[in-house]
Amino acid sequence: MEVHYLIRKPILLEARFRIRGFTVLLGESGVGKTTLLRALAGLVKAEGKPYGGLPPERRPVGYLPQDLALFPHMTAWENVAFPLRTGQRRQQALALLERVGLLEHAHKRPNQLSGGQRQRVALARALARNPELLLLDEPTSALDPLTKDQVLGELVDLIRREGIPTLAVSHDPILARMADWLVVMGPGTILQEGPPEEVYSAPSQLLVARLLGYENLFPARIEPGGVEVNGIHLRLSLPPWARPGDTAWVGIRAEEVIVVRQDRPPPAENVLEGVLANLHPEGLAYRGVFQGAIRLQVLLPRHVQARLNLRPEQRLQVVLKTHYLHLMPGEAD
Amino acid sequence: MDLLFWTALRLSLEVALLASLILLLLGIPLAWLMAFHRFPGKYLLEAVFLLPLVLPPTVLGFYVLLFLGPEGPWLRITGLSWAFRFEGLVFASVLFSLPFALTAYREAFLALDRNLLEVARTLGVPPWKTWGRVVLPLVWPGLLSGTLLAFAHTLGEFGVVLMVGGSIPGKTQMVSIYIYDLVQALRFEEASKAASVLLFLSLAILVAARTLEAKGRAWKSTT
Repeated sequence: MEVHYLIRKPILLEARFRIRGFTVLLGESGVGKTTLLRALAGLVKAEGKPYGGLPPERRPVGYLPQDLALFPHMTAWENVAFPLRTGQRRQQALALLERVGLLEHAHKRPNQLSGGQRQRVALARALARNPELLLLDEPTSALDPLTKDQVLGELVDLIRREGIPTLAVSHDPILARMADWLVVMGPGTILQEGPPEEVYSAPSQLLVARLLGYENLFPARIEPGGVEVNGIHLRLSLPPWARPGDTAWVGIRAEEVIVVRQDRPPPAENVLEGVLANLHPEGLAYRGVFQGAIRLQVLLPRHVQARLNLRPEQRLQVVLKTHYLHLMPGEAD
Repeated sequence: MDLLFWTALRLSLEVALLASLILLLLGIPLAWLMAFHRFPGKYLLEAVFLLPLVLPPTVLGFYVLLFLGPEGPWLRITGLSWAFRFEGLVFASVLFSLPFALTAYREAFLALDRNLLEVARTLGVPPWKTWGRVVLPLVWPGLLSGTLLAFAHTLGEFGVVLMVGGSIPGKTQMVSIYIYDLVQALRFEEASKAASVLLFLSLAILVAARTLEAKGRAWKSTT
């Protein structure tokens, strides 16, 4: 499904992107994600396709706001039955609850359900009007952090089984990884879209790279066969747009900075010498800072640290493999 | 207690009941407008509705009397002479208690989660159904509590009804004026009895209103 919307109020925003399967719209707070979602539901005035000009009542969408807005005085099945018009409303509602796996909780009120269960009641209620598009606002926010991943996974599976195109807006990279299609939004505009693995591995610009967790980003000057960063030459395969002499940005993920093992022959290229400025555990991994010609965030899996037994202040070599280095157009900040 | 007391009490209850029902019909759309819509002159309109709260009741009563009196515009426009009559008392009471009812109704509407109304729209439900199944079930405690407050407030009014109705025993003498007349006549024992009835009645109404308010809040804490 193609979306092209122009919103003037409450913020100026033009968005053009596709929705394919379970689509996640990723962006920082305040860029207009929720506004765009509400515009698709018809709750914010906008021009464009699809559904331009239709009131919310006439749009075939299922909208799940951030707080889900379940009717607090109704039981789960009454909530689901609310949009149903005729016939056996109770039977239909129970069937919908069964589809989302909540039949046994049909007689509970929203305050007796967990965050994940409330989310599925809201989904069943949205399904009751046979939407052709589902809109989810920050679906991770209502969930308990400890069980978030599992509950989200189940929700996404459920939505995939229903086969309804879905747009979920979020600032949570966990959700973005579960997407069939990832759209990245900046202030008032769409920055990039594509399959998540493509967007993650090849952000189109600095803003996208920052949003997707690239911690090591440097202004660079393009040279034949690579780039110059802070006086050192890094080899990498240049994309067609890159012309020697131009400025650009080069980035590498902290977990893709590789520490060179002293007992092995050193790699041929992109080896940097320096000092491990600090090192501390982060969950099951170790996070450190490498200080050489450039300063790099380093994230070591524990099996690597178990073998290398690195300590702060020690000298070491790191290698920036060419296929992990990512070049993006753009002037220095 | 003598017959005049019961007549006065009955008149007060009748005026208060009718005024409260009118307030309910008039106040709900007005409060909805004030809670959810913006329009030019809104603050001025709100100030006008709140005016009876700060005006001396005699001043409000004086203007109502001028409006309803033999030379007033009401008689000229409608041909109805309401001054010193039951209808005049009700008219004045509605104006007098409007700020109470309106403020309570508006609070009830503002406490309503706007997301519920928006989601109801996206579910393709007609407005009347949303009103019947979502809005009223959630706000009725607030509406009823506001109406009870307005009822109690009308029951206790003095200055306005004295100006508009005078104190015609058996016709426009409301119970508050009846008690005042007893005190003026130094009949303290009867005044004390009558006052205690009013005290008990008002307290019971306030307890009921508070109970309803707490019930209205109960839904909020569960979402």
